[in-house]
Amino acid sequence: MAVFKTALINEVEKLSKKKKAWVAVILSLAVIVVGQLVILAVRSGFGLRGVGSGEFPLLVLSLVVNTILPLFAALVAIDSFSGESAQNTLRITLTRPVSRFKVFTAKIGAIALFLLGALVLLFVFSVLAGLLFNASSLTWSDFFRLVLSFLVSLLPLVVLALGIVLLTNVARSGITVFFLAILAFLLLKVLGLVFSGYADLLPTAQLDWYNLWLADVFPVAAVVRQFLLMLGYGVMFFVAGFYLFDQKEL
Amino acid sequence: MSKEQVIEKVIELEHLTKVYKNGRGIDDISLDIYRGDVFGFLGPNGAGKTTAMKVMTGLIRPDRGEVRILGHSVAEEYEKAMAKVGCMIETAESYPYLSAFENLRQFARYYPGVDEKRVDEVLELTGMLKYKREKPKRFSLGMKQRLGLAAAVLSRPEVVILDEPLNGLDVEGMIAMRNLIKGLAERETTFFISSHLIHDVELTCNRIGVIYNGRILDVDSTANILKNYASLENYFVSEVEQSGRI
Repeated sequence: MAVFKTALINEVEKLSKKKKAWVAVILSLAVIVVGQLVILAVRSGFGLRGVGSGEFPLLVLSLVVNTILPLFAALVAIDSFSGESAQNTLRITLTRPVSRFKVFTAKIGAIALFLLGALVLLFVFSVLAGLLFNASSLTWSDFFRLVLSFLVSLLPLVVLALGIVLLTNVARSGITVFFLAILAFLLLKVLGLVFSGYADLLPTAQLDWYNLWLADVFPVAAVVRQFLLMLGYGVMFFVAGFYLFDQKEL
Repeated sequence: MSKEQVIEKVIELEHLTKVYKNGRGIDDISLDIYRGDVFGFLGPNGAGKTTAMKVMTGLIRPDRGEVRILGHSVAEEYEKAMAKVGCMIETAESYPYLSAFENLRQFARYYPGVDEKRVDEVLELTGMLKYKREKPKRFSLGMKQRLGLAAAVLSRPEVVILDEPLNGLDVEGMIAMRNLIKGLAERETTFFISSHLIHDVELTCNRIGVIYNGRILDVDSTANILKNYASLENYFVSEVEQSGRI
């Protein structure tokens, strides 16, 4: 466990020192600022109410969970695997007394922590923006539902990141992986629209699963089903990704 | 019982084979390296030196055969096998976005007894202390090589595996590196060094192995070789020519 902890600390340190990670943070904040400006413009220009303080963070979440957060997941995963492989820096980690399994798991842990950090940041700033600029007060019950929505959104994002990690271990070039990931993402979204009856089975459909947690009557069966589907995808992506990572010749 | 038999085997290669799709690689390499050896692995480009070292450090899996370091199998007990090993394989790489100090601190975390003081110590030892806060993306090849060597000896390893450690170093750097290796060897550190710089191998190593076309041609002590040949270069050319005739 101590070796895994070391590997995780190292991965988190590397991630925090990369410019890409900070660009992601700035972009996340920009989404909130632009979103709030649009709402203020709609309100003053058309006299519409826009959104209440409790609804603004959910509006932000619905936007980022299908756009910039999957993009960040792809960028960070590609950098961590394809990038290090191309720069030969993976070699200097793997020749230390640490197994490939621990390095692989630590890298995924760091990506998950990064996504959690992005969600926390988006939550804090969207709640603050909601409270400062929008009408109606935020109740504790609303606040709790918001926390839950942001937290449960981590799971489908991690599953998506695991899928991208699998791609990084299939194709060598980071650019190829990036385009493959975008193509696969768009294809799955289109498939979800065309075969709407089966859309829930696709890994991209679960990005919106936080909506299930907001229902007045908690849909236990649907939540369990979606959770198990994500778990299944996650396990398959993890195992296949690790198998290829373990076989990699550096 | 000969002297070699009573001295502890530190690295054991048994029938190591790894053939790439292009037909190159290594074929049935068996080799024992003993404690305190400064073993020079000599061979022309493409002979299989780097492949052998990559298999030894777990970067590549062999098709056949096994590597044991300090009694631990690299394939089965990787963490134990690598616990007392420092290495630099193919090129001296470092994370370009971390400073020299941060790069070494990353590796230091894997070893319980290695603290920031030790990081400074190896930076001093390799002449890199004044660049400790700089990022390697602005380093010359020689500076990167020095940082790679600092990373290899950081954990006070019992075994050091170096692939072409003198690449990119100026004369001053080569002499410093040779002295560093000799100094550590006096303290019972075992070295496995590949190089195409025959003169430097002659000055640094006490045992030599010649690899050609993926096969070991001969292993002997430097002293013994120099008894029979005018220089290591003569020995090397003779071994390779013999192999060519065969």
